[in-house]
Amino acid sequence: MPERSESVAKHIEALHRGFDLWPTLPFHPPALGDARWTEELILSTWVQAQTGRPPASGLEYRVGRSRGGFDCLEFSFLPEDRWLAEEAPIDTSIPLNRRSDGPQPRIEIPVPWYGAGMSFGSISEQVMLARAKAAQRWRTFTCTGEGGYPESLLPYKEHVITQVATGMFGVREETILWAPIVEFKYAQGAKPGLGGHLLGDKVTAAVARMRESLPWVSLFSPFPFHSVYSVEDHKKHLDWIRAIHPQALLSVKVSTPNDVDMVAVGSYYAGAHILHLDGGYGGTGAAPEIAKKNIAMPIELAIPKVHRFLEHEGIRDELVLMASGGIRTAYDLAKAIALGADGVVLGTAELVALGCTRCGNCERGRGCPFGLTTTDPELSLLVDPEWGAERIGKLYASFEFELREILRRLGLSSVRALRGRTDLLRYRRAEGGPDGTA
Amino acid sequence: MGLPESLIASRPLLREALPTRKGEAEGGCGVIGLAASVPVAGRHLLQALVQMKNRGNGKGGGIAAAGLDPTFFGVSQELLEQDYLLAIAYLDGTAQAEVEGSLETTFLLEHALSLPTLPDPRVLGLEAPPPAVRCYFARVRPEVRARFMQAHGITEEAAAEDEVVYQHSYRLNRAFYASEGEKRAFVFSHGKNLLILKLVGYGDDVVRYYRLEDLRAQVWIGHHRYPTKGKVWHPGGAHPFLGMHEALVHNGDFANYASMVSYLAQRRIYPLFLTDTEVAVLLFDLYHRVYGYPLEYVIEALAPTTERDFTLLPPQKRRIYRMLQAVHLHGSPDGPWFFLIAQSLPRERTFRLIGITDTSMLRPQVFALQQGVAGIGLAASEKQAIDAALESLAQEDRRFWPHADRYWNARGGSHTDGGAFIFTVERGSFLCTDKFGRPIQADPLKQPPLPWPPVVRRARPPELPPAELYAWFVRKLPEWGYGDLEALLDELVRGATCDQERQWALQTLTLLLDRRYPTGGLKPSAVRWLLEQTLSRFLEHIRQAPSPGYRWLGQGAPVPEPEPEATLVLDARGYPSEGADSLARTLVELYRRGFRRFLLAHTRGQRFVGCGLGAASHGVHIDVYGSVGDYLGSGLDGAEITVHASGQDQLAQILKDGRLVVHGDVGQTFMYAAKGGEAYILGNAAGRPLINAVGSPRVVINGTALDYLAESFMAGDPLQGGGFVILNGVYFDEDGSLRDLDTPYPGGNLFSLASGGALYVRDPHRRLSEEQLNGGEFAPLGRADWELIRPYLEHNERLFGIPLSRLLDGREPGEVYRKVQPAGHQALLPEEAWVRKEA
Repeated sequence: MPERSESVAKHIEALHRGFDLWPTLPFHPPALGDARWTEELILSTWVQAQTGRPPASGLEYRVGRSRGGFDCLEFSFLPEDRWLAEEAPIDTSIPLNRRSDGPQPRIEIPVPWYGAGMSFGSISEQVMLARAKAAQRWRTFTCTGEGGYPESLLPYKEHVITQVATGMFGVREETILWAPIVEFKYAQGAKPGLGGHLLGDKVTAAVARMRESLPWVSLFSPFPFHSVYSVEDHKKHLDWIRAIHPQALLSVKVSTPNDVDMVAVGSYYAGAHILHLDGGYGGTGAAPEIAKKNIAMPIELAIPKVHRFLEHEGIRDELVLMASGGIRTAYDLAKAIALGADGVVLGTAELVALGCTRCGNCERGRGCPFGLTTTDPELSLLVDPEWGAERIGKLYASFEFELREILRRLGLSSVRALRGRTDLLRYRRAEGGPDGTA
Repeated sequence: MGLPESLIASRPLLREALPTRKGEAEGGCGVIGLAASVPVAGRHLLQALVQMKNRGNGKGGGIAAAGLDPTFFGVSQELLEQDYLLAIAYLDGTAQAEVEGSLETTFLLEHALSLPTLPDPRVLGLEAPPPAVRCYFARVRPEVRARFMQAHGITEEAAAEDEVVYQHSYRLNRAFYASEGEKRAFVFSHGKNLLILKLVGYGDDVVRYYRLEDLRAQVWIGHHRYPTKGKVWHPGGAHPFLGMHEALVHNGDFANYASMVSYLAQRRIYPLFLTDTEVAVLLFDLYHRVYGYPLEYVIEALAPTTERDFTLLPPQKRRIYRMLQAVHLHGSPDGPWFFLIAQSLPRERTFRLIGITDTSMLRPQVFALQQGVAGIGLAASEKQAIDAALESLAQEDRRFWPHADRYWNARGGSHTDGGAFIFTVERGSFLCTDKFGRPIQADPLKQPPLPWPPVVRRARPPELPPAELYAWFVRKLPEWGYGDLEALLDELVRGATCDQERQWALQTLTLLLDRRYPTGGLKPSAVRWLLEQTLSRFLEHIRQAPSPGYRWLGQGAPVPEPEPEATLVLDARGYPSEGADSLARTLVELYRRGFRRFLLAHTRGQRFVGCGLGAASHGVHIDVYGSVGDYLGSGLDGAEITVHASGQDQLAQILKDGRLVVHGDVGQTFMYAAKGGEAYILGNAAGRPLINAVGSPRVVINGTALDYLAESFMAGDPLQGGGFVILNGVYFDEDGSLRDLDTPYPGGNLFSLASGGALYVRDPHRRLSEEQLNGGEFAPLGRADWELIRPYLEHNERLFGIPLSRLLDGREPGEVYRKVQPAGHQALLPEEAWVRKEA
């Protein structure tokens, strides 16, 4: 990694001051965020990443103004006299292996989330390191994405998921053997029907070296896996990774097509431990416009559909269901679980904690003003991994705090008891004008 | 009105909403079919199905047989041929009286029997009780037929009878299966001389449960299903599905089910079982029986010829195909599929096995043919299933032997073979043709290995080094009969008790197995069989008396002391294909204990061999004999694997380092996303080899590839350490002579979207054209290119005996080899130069 120059240091200082200051100003910065990731949500995420607690200033930190999805759901909390006591023990852990067969270890994570796959190339090595450090401290996981496994992550390998995606960039037996969990990315909610997609501008010499491809040439992972055109191929595919690394848990990441329930059952019979449903609200800005948010089923419909189908098939308690794709807040997280997921996978929220403003310039190599989704060796110095790990860790702390509060107000002593409790959710009709304001 | 219109108009119009969605998603499944000039017993199909169990999940299995043995049913040959054979599945026994009442109104029932079954389905571990099956030999009542003909203006009696039967079954299924969710009974089959049976279980369970081991038939198909549904209590969704006189099994999945349903509805055909296999056979029946298309057009309507292949058809065909496509394209199944169809043609007393693959070749498929005094054709999802059927058959019937003469893949929707093959059995004669009706022959003039008298006067093979001894065998072979060869091979291995002699015998035998050479009047496939028998005996000697350099391990035997220099013979029989006790994991365990040289014998479809050795497994040598399974060497990072036969699908995925040698063909997606290493293939690759490969893989394919070779290839600059593929475009004919293929590459997609690496295609007659490239360009073969690839061609010569001098034929390398490189390459050169400085 190149040396930080003095000018970079000054720039960093200015950015950090901005992250602290902006949430406290009486006016909000112009042109920040969108209806889903509102300016208040971005600013309140910064507050959480700074303090480890939700903002007390009245900044909205629970919902956005999208007039859809999680923004239209709210919890029916108990009357205050029936809340659990503040000191009551509340279990926020979830298991990641619920299968009764197989020699794989029974991994548990103390909080019901882990980090999503973001590749070296889509984000910088510094950001990957920050995420891995945070995952280690919180005894949860982060994921390599499909861009190879930088060796700087090796000290954290017990907390790093190796992703096997359709281009299989950087996937070797070695990187599979390093991982306690191997994630098969069949599809991605941000762009279902498309493979991974890294424009030439971001394929620097270092990125190309990691992927063993050519510098400055755009990289398109195929869609789908050309070796998997059926459920039985799917099983063979999982069997393959199991033949290489029998101890690894297997996660299958899919988007949310209409028959996602069938896909879930097929994955269970193929031997998956985790089914990871990726809805369309997520992803960085680096996907074609046409694909972003326009294809597949909304995640809040897909979760209960899969949850109920698995229950009906009698295998719900053998499979861990993780949801992702636009989980912004602790409330989103709890709602996803109440809809039927065991836990969630966080991607963009972690980037926002590091300063992302959702400006959407992610596809350019030097487009990210905060040095997050960049592959530029100089620009990526804007994120110090240690600073980043602190920020992500604080966001996790705030989420955990809020999750406990939510459970307490619902009278539940375990997050596992929240799963599938759609009865605790209320549909809140969107009110007002097109932007959701009154 | 013509007959097709009259038949369609005779069907009641349904005004209900059509299904737009399948009942459940369904996987690839496992399929096998065989057709033989002599009736073949069901137990041989069973062996093939047992081999492919990992392609199903026990939630649906089925078989169909055509050209049946009348004694099984207790009827005369005449009755069997003339009557419709209605096989009714009773899920609810109380439906029988009602069903039979319905039958009586349409049919004269001439014979009926309940199929015998095992006393208790639980011995097979079946979770749902299989249906009771009653077979009725029936004739359409003359008055029913006459009424039907009059009502609909149909004059052809046979066509009218078929339609009466077809509509009767539809009505019966609606009444007893589809109505209000009451699933009480449905028709398994109603064709002449055709029987379909299915249950909730595996395909082989059907053979066992309904006691079909000894039933003989001319054509068999079998299927394991893989539905993604937990609880299945009846086999309504299991394959085969029924047309009129044909049964269809299917491996794949259609993306346009709803559109196919609406296409069929416009012809008054309405599916009841909500699977895409059902609509596939309904389409087949429509084209074949109602429209009366010749089989070639039926296949074209199902799997249209497109793109470059279409333009290469003769003008006459193009004209007709264009019409077929205009009318039927929106009904043709879109997505990955492979159909096997067992068909009875009652009027011609002919039976057919038809295998059709989709235009994009997205499902695994292999065809095989053996022709001796009898003939047999087979098609399956995996080669090893074919081998299992042949081996089982050869044990019982010496007219067959365990190796097919030919194994090949169909090129879907192509102008070369049409992606379909048909095995036709007609009164003892046997014929294999492609879609266009061109016959496929397998060494018809060579002598089949019928039992021979033992050779009394036995000679010893001369004491020469293996390469010279091999040459001696090859020189002598044309003078020998099977007995002479057997005796000499026997002598070769009999006295081999010490390491040195064993090495000598093994090397000689292996050369004889690996190489292609003239076999005189003998069948090459039978020579191979003798060689494998000899190898088997040789390895048995090692088991009985291991020597310091040759240890032996088999299922359940104690593991010998590890010795890195010794060869461990690992008898694969009994090791599962996947899982903790699999052959692949056993190999990893033995590697960890310190073994470095392995000889895997008797493999039968075991997957993942050579996976899991981890990084830097240099110094490990694995020699594989038999029929090894999918994903061999996938992840290999240093070790060397030699396959002394053909490989299957998904070999050498993500290959990183090491070497793979295959003395035969390789299947689908060979070396997908490979990073490096070397591979040498004697024969062909199927679809999508080297797709998404990066880094520096270096590959020699001596035959060709079906299509999509090196799509999205990103393997740097070969002259700067990057990767490449050499495609030689040659094959060995049945006399062991090396010949040029008509074209080194028949497909329409070569090096598509590639950004790095290069292809070196041997194309002495300049058959490749620009239109096959999409993102690639031809470039002259430079001196540096030749210096780069020559050592690989020299090694190729050592491995396979394909002389470089023969490949060049006395011409300059630049006149014979053409380089294909990424077209965007030039534009990027300045950037790359800059990057290299930076790196």
